[in-house]
Amino acid sequence: MHGLTLPSGQDGGTNMNTLNSFWKRFGLFFAVMGPGIVTAFADNDAGGIATYAAAGAKYGYALLFTMFVSTVCLAVAQEISARTGAVTGRGLSDLIREQYGVKWTFFAMIVLLVANLGTTASEFSGIATSFEIFGVSKYISVPLAGLLVWWLVLKASYERTEKIFFVLCLTFFSYVVSGIMVNPPWGEVMKASITPSFSADAEFLMMAIGVIGTTITPWGQFYVQASVVDKGITAKDYIYTRWDVLIGSFFTGLIAFFIIVATAATLYVNDVSIETAKDAAMALAPLAGQYASMLFAFGLLGASMLAAFVLPLSTAYAVCEALGFERGVSKSYEEAPIFYGLYTALIVLGAGLVLWPDLSLYKIMLASQVVNGVLLPPILIFMVLIASNVNIMGKYANSKWYNVVAWIFTVVLIVLTVMLLISTFVPDFMQWLLEFFRVR
Amino acid sequence: MHAVKILGEYYFSQLLGKPIYDAGNCRIGWVKDMAVRWDGVSPVVVGLKYARKLPQLIPVRFIAGCDEKGIRLNITFDAKHTVPLLEKEIYISKWLLDKQIIDLQGSKLVRVNDITLSWISQAGESAMVLVAVDTGIRGLFRRLGLEFLFKRFENKLLGLQYMKPLEKRTSNLQLNRDKQQFEKLHPADIADLIEEIDYRHRADFIDNLDDQQAIDALAEMDLDTQVEIIEQLDTERASDLLEDLPPDEAADILGELSDEKSEELLQAMETDDAEEVRELMQYEEDTAGALMTTEFIGFSSLLTADQAINRLRKLAPAAETIYYLFITDEAEHLQGVLSLRELIVASPEATLGELMNTKVVTVQPDDDHAKVADVFRKYGLLAVPVVDDEQVMQGIITVDDILYILIPERTRSDGYAWFNITQWAGRGH
Repeated sequence: MHGLTLPSGQDGGTNMNTLNSFWKRFGLFFAVMGPGIVTAFADNDAGGIATYAAAGAKYGYALLFTMFVSTVCLAVAQEISARTGAVTGRGLSDLIREQYGVKWTFFAMIVLLVANLGTTASEFSGIATSFEIFGVSKYISVPLAGLLVWWLVLKASYERTEKIFFVLCLTFFSYVVSGIMVNPPWGEVMKASITPSFSADAEFLMMAIGVIGTTITPWGQFYVQASVVDKGITAKDYIYTRWDVLIGSFFTGLIAFFIIVATAATLYVNDVSIETAKDAAMALAPLAGQYASMLFAFGLLGASMLAAFVLPLSTAYAVCEALGFERGVSKSYEEAPIFYGLYTALIVLGAGLVLWPDLSLYKIMLASQVVNGVLLPPILIFMVLIASNVNIMGKYANSKWYNVVAWIFTVVLIVLTVMLLISTFVPDFMQWLLEFFRVR
Repeated sequence: MHAVKILGEYYFSQLLGKPIYDAGNCRIGWVKDMAVRWDGVSPVVVGLKYARKLPQLIPVRFIAGCDEKGIRLNITFDAKHTVPLLEKEIYISKWLLDKQIIDLQGSKLVRVNDITLSWISQAGESAMVLVAVDTGIRGLFRRLGLEFLFKRFENKLLGLQYMKPLEKRTSNLQLNRDKQQFEKLHPADIADLIEEIDYRHRADFIDNLDDQQAIDALAEMDLDTQVEIIEQLDTERASDLLEDLPPDEAADILGELSDEKSEELLQAMETDDAEEVRELMQYEEDTAGALMTTEFIGFSSLLTADQAINRLRKLAPAAETIYYLFITDEAEHLQGVLSLRELIVASPEATLGELMNTKVVTVQPDDDHAKVADVFRKYGLLAVPVVDDEQVMQGIITVDDILYILIPERTRSDGYAWFNITQWAGRGH
């Protein structure tokens, strides 16, 4: 085990050292990589894909620039949570409980529970949809998928689950392939993605906000912080985790970009309007070929499965952590009944809602979007407050300038979220807002 | 000795936010927080914080009564009655409320939902002491003002003497007591606790343990956690602990660290210990060599049973296993093996050479795990010697080493480990 030491000062020595240290850094990055990338991939879940597909079909390449903005927002939000996790070694719900007391925590946990139940249901509906495209009834696919998720996390070996996760992350690249298959006019695409386009049209605004809102979610913030903590990443490894987060955000943006391109180049050009991801996959077949359609469905399946794995467990975890119940899959049922109860209930209810005969899934998705919207502003505020608190973060606290950036993005996100919330209840709100400003 | 009279018992959550009236029935503020000091048996409340912005406290001795309506003082309030917060005193809500603590009875981490206080008087002096923390669901809903929903639930109270806060804000007296309390815990329980505590408090926690406790606990952990902890300790403490760990475990841990870090730790270790570990680290993973420990009991065949038992008394405390004695010559060639039972029942004068079994089952350093496990199963052994081609003893593998391979712990304590996709990449290679 005697390390090879190169005599310094000799020819080539410096070069070799740089090379060595590059590989060493690369190795270190490889060791800590994971939380940022998995969270970012999981953020492009069933609801996200439906939103991107609809955005591309309705407005062509016009919303590509919004994608750029939402990717930056995602990177900032995830960076803050990941850094807080690495520096403190504690989860977000833990810190909220200790800093802001039991009432805020309870509010956040109840809302998180409801929001994530809705989101879990939407993941299962994504699974149902993708199987339906391949001709499998949801009454078969959803119970089986639910059972698989429940069973794998609780019973199967860690290594096996890990491999499944890899495959699920890779399925996202089917969107990149289908985006290239439709052969869009690349010049136009590139131009659109760097040119801010704005149209003073209520529906356009709603769609733009939706694209941003679907990417940044409360559960994504809880999850990234918890997985950074669990991985044992500490402040000194954080520099590598920052790359993990940035790369993850980049891919999230890239995949969303290709979804928009794929639907814009086919559905928008041919004036086909869609509402769901299933419509998108079905409509792609005659325009871009059977394979593009199947790839689209396949990607939806992978995305929904990944989020269906992550959501119930991370929710049960965050709630138990905040309220002080025993938690963790290594605990027995007798030791952690609330943890297992919550976890099982989320999967059963999530899958059950999808199978409920007369329940509109569109409404469930809308409802969970609203609940997420209620929770996002306080969570963002807590996050930024915690990350800028020197008592908690020490020298890793937000710098003055970063804090300004963080607050600007927080305020922007909050304003957008509130606008989205109001327009959900008052559909004419956006129209009214535009006219209000036009009069002035 | 004056009798202690209990004037009242309260929940911290009930007192928090209550108005404070002085003798003239004038409202002077609300209970914003309480400051405590813990240098005796129980933490004692030193004063009430009565205004958000003021650092001043109202001493407990001025309290005349507490009830539903609020707290009454026995003086006409004047700022000169207040005292400032001293350095060794700390606010309850900063120190204990909503925080994670170690429940030493159940040896697990729990969260403080509420705190019970006793208002007592002794010899005309009144004081308020912290009695127990409430970690139950009923306490949680009491904080939310919804206790009536959980009336049927028992309060889960944990006496202050059975808890340890993670925040290190206690006197030396407390630290000494912590050490005694940890002695009552099983090392495996301490290991579980260490795994659950966040990494910043972990260092404090391990500092509170003496070396033996820390090593026993470390030996109970799975490799990932061992590596994480060794990485987080400073070099001096880490190398001290590594010296005293069984060399095979130390080699496993160092093998997972980056070359630079493991070299740094090896340099800091005592030369002998470091040499042994270095030797073990040369064996390929998944071989008998990597599994074995170099610490075993080897005696000369010329010793009598009586002499051997006497030597065993001295060696036993530090040895990994004493159930088999290995008989070797000067050059460490394995000649035979003797079980502890055979040694004890033998006549005291018999030499080990006469007693030993010469048909010894051995494995070679480069045999793989499956072969080693097979040997254990086939011969029903507690330990098996590892020898090279010339029958020179290299070390032994004990049955618990192979058990870890055959029946791995299912996961780390946290569920999130399931979602880390890159464990395969290993650490720092």
